Amino acid sequence: MKQPLEKNWDWEISSETSNWSWDLKSLLSYRHLLASLVRKEFLLNYQQTILGPGWILVQPLLTLVTYVLVFGMLIRIPTGEGVPPVLFYLSGIVLWNFFNDSFGTTSRTFREYIHIFTKVYFPRIIIPLATISTQFMRFLVQLGLLLLILLYYIFFRGFVIHWNWALVGAPLAVAGVGLISLGMGLIFSVLTAKYRDIVNIVDVGIRLLFFATPVVYPLALVREELRWIVKLNPLTPLFELFRLGVLGQGTVQTGDLVYSFGFMLITFLVSVYMFNKQGSKLIDVV
Amino acid sequence: MKDTVISVENISKQYRLGAIGTGSLRQDLQVFWKKNILRQDPAFFKEVHAADHIWALDHVSFDVKQGEAVGIIGANGSGKSTLLKIISRIVQPTSGTVRGRGKISSILEVGTGFHYELSGRENIYMSGYTLGMQKQEIQKKFDEIVAFSGIEKFLDTPVKRYSSGMYVRLAFAVAAHLEPDILIVDEVLAVGDADFQKKCMGKMQSSSATDGRTILFVSHNLQAVENLCNRAIWLNKGKIADMGHTGAVVRSYLASTKTDLTGSHWEDPQTAPGNEFVRMKRITARAAGNEPFITVKTPVIIEAEMYCFVHDGDLNVNIELLSPSGESIFNIGCHSIKAEKAILALQVTIPADLLNNTSYGISLTVVKNYSQVLHEFYNCLSFEVEDVREGMYYYGVWPGLIRPAIDALFYVKDSF
Repeated sequence: MKQPLEKNWDWEISSETSNWSWDLKSLLSYRHLLASLVRKEFLLNYQQTILGPGWILVQPLLTLVTYVLVFGMLIRIPTGEGVPPVLFYLSGIVLWNFFNDSFGTTSRTFREYIHIFTKVYFPRIIIPLATISTQFMRFLVQLGLLLLILLYYIFFRGFVIHWNWALVGAPLAVAGVGLISLGMGLIFSVLTAKYRDIVNIVDVGIRLLFFATPVVYPLALVREELRWIVKLNPLTPLFELFRLGVLGQGTVQTGDLVYSFGFMLITFLVSVYMFNKQGSKLIDVV
Repeated sequence: MKDTVISVENISKQYRLGAIGTGSLRQDLQVFWKKNILRQDPAFFKEVHAADHIWALDHVSFDVKQGEAVGIIGANGSGKSTLLKIISRIVQPTSGTVRGRGKISSILEVGTGFHYELSGRENIYMSGYTLGMQKQEIQKKFDEIVAFSGIEKFLDTPVKRYSSGMYVRLAFAVAAHLEPDILIVDEVLAVGDADFQKKCMGKMQSSSATDGRTILFVSHNLQAVENLCNRAIWLNKGKIADMGHTGAVVRSYLASTKTDLTGSHWEDPQTAPGNEFVRMKRITARAAGNEPFITVKTPVIIEAEMYCFVHDGDLNVNIELLSPSGESIFNIGCHSIKAEKAILALQVTIPADLLNNTSYGISLTVVKNYSQVLHEFYNCLSFEVEDVREGMYYYGVWPGLIRPAIDALFYVKDSF
């Protein structure tokens, strides 16, 4: 919808989609829909389960145990000096979960909501915004767990931490990861709706990306001549920044950060443009 | 003069049939490669281009004024739903513009935004928000919605445990309490029991008449359209076939669907249906007078002509009226005539105010000398009777195989 040329009409529908005009007023009028979608996600996931919302914490803890056993004790990947493996892995798991779940759910927007999209109009971006909000809240809860364990290590295990300017960088890193996952999610929601084939690539791609991201290993331990591969991944500097902020350990260079945030900005703009432009056309195709 | 609130200008909508560009990346890449890199025009792409496109809407223009209730009628696939979806902003037109004023809400299905796992209470909010209601609006009307649906006791039960009737009632209750400036409704009366349908129609009627709400209404129930709408648009294959006063448009739409339906004839006496004694030449049913189609208020004239190959004896014909499921409703006879090799004609008039609005079949049995059946033309003709119900507030199916005009006395007798 765009602003009609003539003054006496409220709205106008034509074959062209306006490119950028996210009508903030109409987005705002659907804020309750967004809130109730988030509520729905939580209700649905934990209804008729024994642990209920406890799963938000149990899931990363189970993953943590696995990582400590497999990567820490079996394969013995070093986690860097001074940082307890538990904290190292958990910080990686929490941030990776945020990326993985946000990307996964937003990229399924069209496939999961098409039955509503064909029946009623509301700004389509509300759905991915609601899913990423849900994931962000889950992330905050898991982050709380990480901080609790961190405090335990500081007070009872004598873990010494040297916080510096990077503490400010941690929230930025989270925002960066969130926006990249949202941007990629939006792009792939359009692509997978149009070309079903891509679904298969996405699953494999995410698994590969996991290994190209410093989740279970620190960047500093990657061999010098192979480090460029890991650094090509725009998530790498963000994960390192997050760990530097929270645990005081990480390899962060300004150039890498500029690359990451530049990538984030471009992805985000392209994705919103694509989602907006293709969104209404996809209804005819899906 | 009231203001125009929707102005539809030259709306066209083209759909692609087939799978090109709708599923496989490889195909799209192939087409792109051949077209843009090799500068060829792939043959299969061209073919698809010509054959697999369909115009769901073709240059449709009309205006709707504030407070009008406009019915949109037409056969399946005539573009009614596409039109509503374009005005509701769900799909984009291929060309043309729609301009309007005020807030639009559309009910294209019952239960949009409902989730099976959530409770009735949660779903009222969820569905209300999805349909564009604001929080205060829902809170204000919450009790009204619950009362309208009549599911008070099950408000906190997940709707997956509801009966389908309860589900529909709750879903419709939410939709019925929308208060936009323009309401778009597509074929939702098809669900729910007659009682509930009546309640919903009443609600819509009052919202149009007293609150000045503009309504766009699509339904196959022409009776409902006639009762609710003052103006109608008849779409035929994506084009406007007729537009104007509801009664007139509905009648011309019905007339177009009924022609050639109720009659057949055979010119060759040797191959026409029948046997060596008698064969059918022509059989038709039509409304008496100049009425374009048969309704419950028109007499029905059934005419038949038969080739007769019998020279001797007396012939008569039994005419039997069959219900839609093939049971006999009544059987009438006729006086007999002397048989001769000729074309015999038969005419029966079924009076008005006897048949119900359903489809009937006719069987003819030709009998010689009151005992020998020469041939039975079983169910050789079927015809439809349309409904006319002026000033009646009942939209469900009228029960019964027939609907004779029998007056019933009902009055206040005495005080007690």
